[in-house]
Formats: sequence, C-alpha cells, structure tokens
Amino acid sequence: MALPNPALTQIPDSYKYGWNDPEQPRTTFKKGISAEVVAEISRIKGEPEWMTKLRLKAYRHFEARPMPKWGADLDGIDFQDIYYYVTGTDKAVQSWDDVPEYIRRTYDKLGIPEAEKKYLAGVGGQYDSEVVYHNIREDLEKQGVIFLGTDEALKTHPELFREHFGTVIPANDNKLAALNTAVWSGGSFIYVPKGVHVELPLQAYFRINTENMGQFERTLIIADEGSSVHYVEGCTAPTYSTASLHSAVVEIIVKKGARVRYTTIQNWSPNVYNLVTKRAVAHEDAVMEWVDGNLGSKVTMKYPSIYLVGERAHGEVLSIAFAGDGQHQDAGGKIIHAAPNTTSLITSKSISRGTGRTSYRGLVKVYPGCQKSKSTVRCDALILDEEARSDTYPYMEIDEEDVTIGHEATVSKVGSEQLFYLMSRGLTEAEASAMIVNGFIEPIVKELPMEYAVEMNRLIQLQMEGAVG
Amino acid sequence: MTLEAPRAAAALDAGAIEGISDRFDEPDWLRALRARWWGRAEATPPPTGQEEEWRRTSLDALPRDVELTFDAPELETHLPPGAAEAGVILTDLRTAVREHSELVARHLGLSDGPGSHAHFWALANAAWTGGAFCYVPRGVTVDGTLVVRQTLARSDVAFHPVTLVVADESSSVTMLEEIVSPDGAAGWYGGIADIQAGQAADVKYARLQQLGDEAWNIGAQRVSVGQDATVTTLDAEIGSKITKVGLEVEMSGRGGTSRLLGLLAAGDDQHIDINAHQVLAADYTTSDLLYLSALYDRARAAFYGVTLVEHGTKQTSSYQECRNLLLSPDAGAEPIPVLEIKANDILRCGHGATAGAIDPTQLFYAQTRGLDPESAERMIVRGFFEQVVAQIHDETIRARVLEALAGRIGTTEEQAA
Amino acid sequence: MTALEQAATGGFVTAVRTSDVEPGTVRVVEVAGRSLCIGHTEDGEWGAIDNVCTHDGGTLGEGELDDTAVECPRHGGRFDLFSGRVLALPPVRPVNAYETIVEDDEIRVRLEPA
Repeated sequence: MALPNPALTQIPDSYKYGWNDPEQPRTTFKKGISAEVVAEISRIKGEPEWMTKLRLKAYRHFEARPMPKWGADLDGIDFQDIYYYVTGTDKAVQSWDDVPEYIRRTYDKLGIPEAEKKYLAGVGGQYDSEVVYHNIREDLEKQGVIFLGTDEALKTHPELFREHFGTVIPANDNKLAALNTAVWSGGSFIYVPKGVHVELPLQAYFRINTENMGQFERTLIIADEGSSVHYVEGCTAPTYSTASLHSAVVEIIVKKGARVRYTTIQNWSPNVYNLVTKRAVAHEDAVMEWVDGNLGSKVTMKYPSIYLVGERAHGEVLSIAFAGDGQHQDAGGKIIHAAPNTTSLITSKSISRGTGRTSYRGLVKVYPGCQKSKSTVRCDALILDEEARSDTYPYMEIDEEDVTIGHEATVSKVGSEQLFYLMSRGLTEAEASAMIVNGFIEPIVKELPMEYAVEMNRLIQLQMEGAVG
Repeated sequence: MTLEAPRAAAALDAGAIEGISDRFDEPDWLRALRARWWGRAEATPPPTGQEEEWRRTSLDALPRDVELTFDAPELETHLPPGAAEAGVILTDLRTAVREHSELVARHLGLSDGPGSHAHFWALANAAWTGGAFCYVPRGVTVDGTLVVRQTLARSDVAFHPVTLVVADESSSVTMLEEIVSPDGAAGWYGGIADIQAGQAADVKYARLQQLGDEAWNIGAQRVSVGQDATVTTLDAEIGSKITKVGLEVEMSGRGGTSRLLGLLAAGDDQHIDINAHQVLAADYTTSDLLYLSALYDRARAAFYGVTLVEHGTKQTSSYQECRNLLLSPDAGAEPIPVLEIKANDILRCGHGATAGAIDPTQLFYAQTRGLDPESAERMIVRGFFEQVVAQIHDETIRARVLEALAGRIGTTEEQAA
Repeated sequence: MTALEQAATGGFVTAVRTSDVEPGTVRVVEVAGRSLCIGHTEDGEWGAIDNVCTHDGGTLGEGELDDTAVECPRHGGRFDLFSGRVLALPPVRPVNAYETIVEDDEIRVRLEPA
C-alpha cells in the first residue's frame, strides 16, 4: 500500500520542541567519565567479568584516541560535562497499560492513534538509559525470535551475545565507538532463527530527558540463515540549552540468504550531537538495507556501512538529510565489496535551508578478487537558501578491474519556473517549495514502513511547521 | 615522509637561489621575486602525506639527490606565420626576461598555485632555470597552433620550468606544450604552468607529458579566467613513473568559462595522481572537468578534485567527471570528485565518477566484427577516449596526442589496415 | 634459505626466545626479512602471523592479545593467532599464519604460510 506523503504546509524558518516531562526521581552519577564510572556501570548492571574487562579496555582506547579532524565541528562537546548513566525507577513492562504515564504522554504528543498502538509489535521503549517498556508478541516468541533490551540479552543469552558482540564494530574502531563500548546501556538485541520471517517491523523509541544526558545505546541484530526482519527506530528529544551527546553503536550480522532492513528516523532537538557508528556484515546471498532519515540534531555524523563478505550479497543505503538553521548533517554510507558478484546502491537526498549544511560523505571500496561487482551511488542535494551549504565527498577505492562502479551527484536549487508554475495555481511560495521538496525526497520516503507512517508523518510535520503551538 | 628541499645543487638555500640569478645575469626585480618565493618555499612545508590530497602518493622515493640543472633543455618553438608580426611572443623564459623584461615582470610569479602543491609552486618560482613565455597582445587572434617542445637531454636531473601564458583582452590563442625526457634514469621534473586569460580572451592550452619511465613528475598548473574569457586545457599524461599534478582554476571574472580535459593512459607500474581545485567565485561562471583514464598492467590512477562554488555567486555551472577504464586485474583507480557548494543560486552542478572494466557485451560485439581481442579492446578504449578527443578542435594537438597514445591504444588507421 | 638448509631444518627458522614474549602479549619479530607478529597466550601456546593488518596496514605486533585473538592497534580488527582468520571487522581478508614449534627456549617458525 502506498505511503501517503506528509502534507507539508510550509517550510519553517526554525524548529523547536518546547515540551519535556517533569523529571522523575532517579539515581544519577555525577557528570564525567573515568575508569571508576565505567566499572561502576558494569557493577550496577551485574555484568559478567568479560564485559567489565571489555568496557575498561574500551575506555582506555577512548582516552588514547584523538577526536576526528574531519567531518563536522565537534568542539562543543565536553566529555566531562555529561551524565553517563541514569536509571529510571520503572521496570520493564509488557503491555501498553503498564507503560508509565509520563511515557505514554510522550507518545500521545507524537499523536499515535490508539488503534495504531495495538498493531505495533514488540515496541521497546527506552527512557533515558534503561529499557522500560517491552512488548513481544506471542507469535514472535513462538517462532523463537529474541527481542530484548541489550542489557537483558547479555544475561539471558550469554553465549549468543558473546559470540557476536564487538565482531562488527570492535572497541577500538573509532573514538566514539570506544566510548560506547565503555558506557553502553540499553539498546535492542534481536536474534531471528533460521528461516524465520518477521512480518511486522520491530520498533523502538528513544528519548533523552535529563539535562546533559548522553545516550549510548548499543544494538545488536543477528539474522540467521534465510531469515528476515525489519527494525525501525525513531528518536525525539526536548530542547535544552546545553549540548547533549548521542553516541550509539549498531552492529548487524546478516547471515547467508538472510535479509535485514534497519530504518532510522532521527529528529533530535537542535542541541544534540548525534555521532553514530552503524555497520552491517552481509554474507552469501544476503541483503542488507539501511534507511536513514536525519532531520534533527545540531550535528550528525553517521555513515551506515555494509561489508559485503559473501558472494552475491547486496547492500543498500537510502539516506535523507535535512539541515535547517545552525544544523550540520554529515551523513552518507560506506559499502565494502569483499566478495565477487556483490552489488550495492547508495541513494542520498539532502536539503539545506537557512544556515544549514548537509555533507554527503561516502565510500565505495572494492577489494581485489571481487569480480563482477557493481555499485551505484546517486547523491542529489537541494539548497534552498543563500546561506545554506551542501558538500559531497564520495570516496572510491577500486582495486578490481572486472567491476562496474559509478557515482553521480547533482546540487540544485528549487527551479524558479517550477515555483512560478505552482504559485500560479494558488499556492503560496512556502507551500510550493514544500511540495517541490516533498517530491524531491519521495523516492526514499516511500520506502518507510506503513506502520511507522503516522509517527513519521507527525515528526516531519512538526519539523516543517516550525514552533509547536 | 618529510621532504627536504632538493639536494640538487647540494641543498638549495637562499644563496643558491641568488646563484641562479647571478648565472643568468638577471634583473633586480627577478632576483627579488625569486628570493620572495624562496622564502615562501621554506615557510610552506612539503606535504607529509597526512593531507587529503597526498594520502595516495608517497614522496619517500622522490629522487632528491639529483642536481638542479642549469642547462635548459632544448626548446623548440613554433610560431605560425604572421604571428610574430602581430606582436605575439613565444620564447624560452630566460630569453623573455632579457628581451621583454617589463612585460614578463608584470605577469610572472604573482599568484599562488593549487594549495595541494603550495610547496612545489613556490619552489619552481624560486628555482626555475628554464621555461617558456607566450604573450598574445590585445585583440590578436592567432591562426594556427603555437608549439613549445622541451626535450631534456638527461632524466637524472631536477628541473622546475615555468611556462607563462598571457592572453591579453579579446585575444585568441591555441598552444601545445610537449615535454620529453629519456627513459632509464630517475629525476625530478617539477614544471608549473601559469595561464592568464584576460577579459574575453580565448585560450586553449594542451600539455603532452612524455617523460621517461623513471621520471617523477610533480607538476602544477594555475588558470585564471577573466571576465567573459574562455580557457580550455588538456592534460595528457603518458610518461613518467610517478605523476602528481595539481590544477588550480580561479573563476573570478563574471561570465568566464573553463574546461579542463584530461587523458591518462598508464601501464606497467605507473602511478598517476591528479588534484584539481576549481573555484567559482563570480556570477555566471562555468567550470567543467572531464578526466579519462585507461589503466593497464599494474597502473594506478587517483583523482581528488574539489569544485568550490563560493557564497553569494549566482547562476554558476559546473560538472566534474572522472571516468576510469580498468584493463587489467592489477590496475586500480580512486576517483574522488568533491563538491563544496556555498551558494544556492546554481544553474547546474554535479559530478560523476566511474571505474570498471570494458563492458563485456561491447567487447563481444567488436569481436563479432572480426577483430581479435586486443584490437577490439584498443578500439573500445579509443572510443572511450573520444569523449575528450572530440573536444580537441585543433588538428595539430589532436594529431600529436593521438600519436603519443598510439603506443597503448593503437590508431584507427592501423585498425583499418 | 637454501634448499639444503631447508631440508636440514624442515623449513623452520628461529624467530625469538621464549623469554622475549610475555604470556598474553604479542610482539613484532623480523624473521628472514619478513615482519611477523608472534603471540604467546596465557595458556602457554605460541602462534605467528603476518605483522601487517589487511585493513589499513596497522602493525599487529604492536597490538594486544586477547586470549587467542590478536587485536590490531589501529582500528581494533581481530585475527586468530593460529589460523590468521578474521574474527572482527574492519579487516575482511585473513592474514597468513605460520607453523610454530618450541625448541628448548626458542620459538621456531616455518616461513611457508600454514
């Protein structure tokens, strides 16, 4: 069924989320990070020794590595000015009625109709650093699908967990991944057994609510041979004056013949630094798709990656980035071809307005011996205003001859003839621009899951409409 | 991977630079100019390899012990009939300094080259011992092709010539510069070209590099395009062992147009790395780039080019294309076209990069026409190169470039035979 | 190594003394012009693999040994000390592994890949 396009009424001049919930009593550490804080997080969670050791090793790496000198401006981050662990006072719940009132209020504000809630399968809600809501439908359990908070999975499925954790993104991969490995809390763990197809998308919601709260969720998805699953995550965050840091890590293993799609719609408030490492490994005949929507945050640096390590594996990254005033979306995708007959597609659509800046940063790497591999990258950018900016940095390292690799990009503005035509039909300039922008991103928006449409529509509308009220 | 200044002439220093002026009995303005650029060369450290533009080419093995040669290579110049009478000047640079001192002084060494090659640009401006000067007076259209041919007698030297081309207002000129050196010995060729197109001028400049198989080619080129001027450059890289070229295009005149064409045919263990920086800083400017490479054996080509559209400009137009044909399993390519767009009133802007083998269907089709596989491949590569060759309107240049490429890609005539 | 030497030693070359590598660590050892990463596990086992990480050229011998996994210091990629197989990305290609034997207080390595 076709996804109704969000009815954009106008391009806003600014966007603000003005509401947040009064804080509940909670246990919070002091601000700042140290080996003691890391050890304490592990102790409070009651983790096995190997995880504690890994966290501490990762913290060592975090300390030793310098900040990246490329990408967006990260000078505003003060690692010692962040809370690294907050516990809520609510336990995990199993049904919507058990969801704490203040959390239900959040979802209500997002306008999810009552009827929709019933159909949503296995919604894992995260309040600050803990998974407080959890709903696994009966048939998922019967099929042997595991869908838990990451903390819980470590306890209940230790061998499966340890076999895969850190094999896609090791502790020392980059500074932010090291930080995450040291202080991770929350996130989702999904295991889909062989041949099992999970029909409804599994979803999660996140929210930052404490001033200067960092979010360090860690997600691990394992799709066993021949299985398929679609995971959807979306974030909202209230506005605060001091910077917030969101540094998640997502590891995905798509085994032979399996299929995974991971959809993210990110809409952090404009003070959040959103620095995420997301990587998937796709084996023989596997398919991995990242659908990545970046609407919010002050700075996002995120390059969903796919390592195609088995023959005939296929990877796709569909990315939308929207940068309004003061925002910098530095996003893209990385595909590594490491086997013959692998294929990939990266489609990126970005829009910058006001003083916003979008940067596409991508890599297509083909190792020797990957004959008959094909990759196509298509990046299009729309710059709406004089002060806005768009960059494209497409890296390519092609070390195999028998391949077809292509990259095309365009940067354009809203055509004046197009605008004139629409306005002559009675639309205001803002409405006409909105329509054109809508058409521009339509190829990716139509890939979003129907079940998520309402949430997505609402988020986009809030984004486009400007100040709530 | 730090690079010391060439030990050519036993470690260059300010005194050695003065020595060049002494030897050639140069006027004071040139002494001062060289000294200033030497200061810049000392102040601008050579690349360490950490810079984005230098990650793919290591300078570790650059032959720094070779002597800086004072023997200018044999320079053949060819002026079409009538050009000299119209006031067109084409000579080697040393002669130009002697015979047209004021004119040269007004144009030589006044601008920066590509940022990636800042050190080498400064070095060449300080330590050049040869080069060429071309001047076309206002309103003059030169019929025919100006040709400059530099033939180095020895490869095992360091030589950083400066080619200065000045096309005055509303003039029109086409020029081919060829550089040749013998195979076998390692040397350092650091030639730079400074192309200045005045208002409404039309300049076509082609550079055919056929250095010896052990040569290092660290070159740079700067093109400044005046109001309503048009500059087309062709960069044909055939020889050398390592080529690392930087191109700077400054579109600061309203309505200017530039087109950078490149043809690379590399084999054996050649390594060709091109940096481009196209700056569109005025309204209604156009800057396109099309670089094609055919890579054989173990050759590698890298391309890192930035198109920068400055804030506040209107109706600019740019398209950057880098396409690579990989013709052997060990060949490799890294084409990276980068866009940095700070203005929104764009007429057109885009880029494209491809790398891959010949389409097997094409190859099969060619063979069904009776061609053996090698001939079929050569024909297809020629077809691939046609995208650039078709844009070379000058017969002389086209013929010379195709002749130079024939070694790798054959010719249409031999095909028909 | 000449054919005669090869026949005499079975192709093994002395790489390092057992006392030179602490248990639970790796180190860089040059053997007959080749750069190797030699590891000594907590359990007392020995392994030898190529020293250069197949991902981005990191020096494995300057990394860490986690049980039997060699961790590259550059981006944390992991290889099995005995087989050279990739255990964690970002490397995708394995490294060569070499047969090792302990003779008295010496670690000897056969330079043909295992």
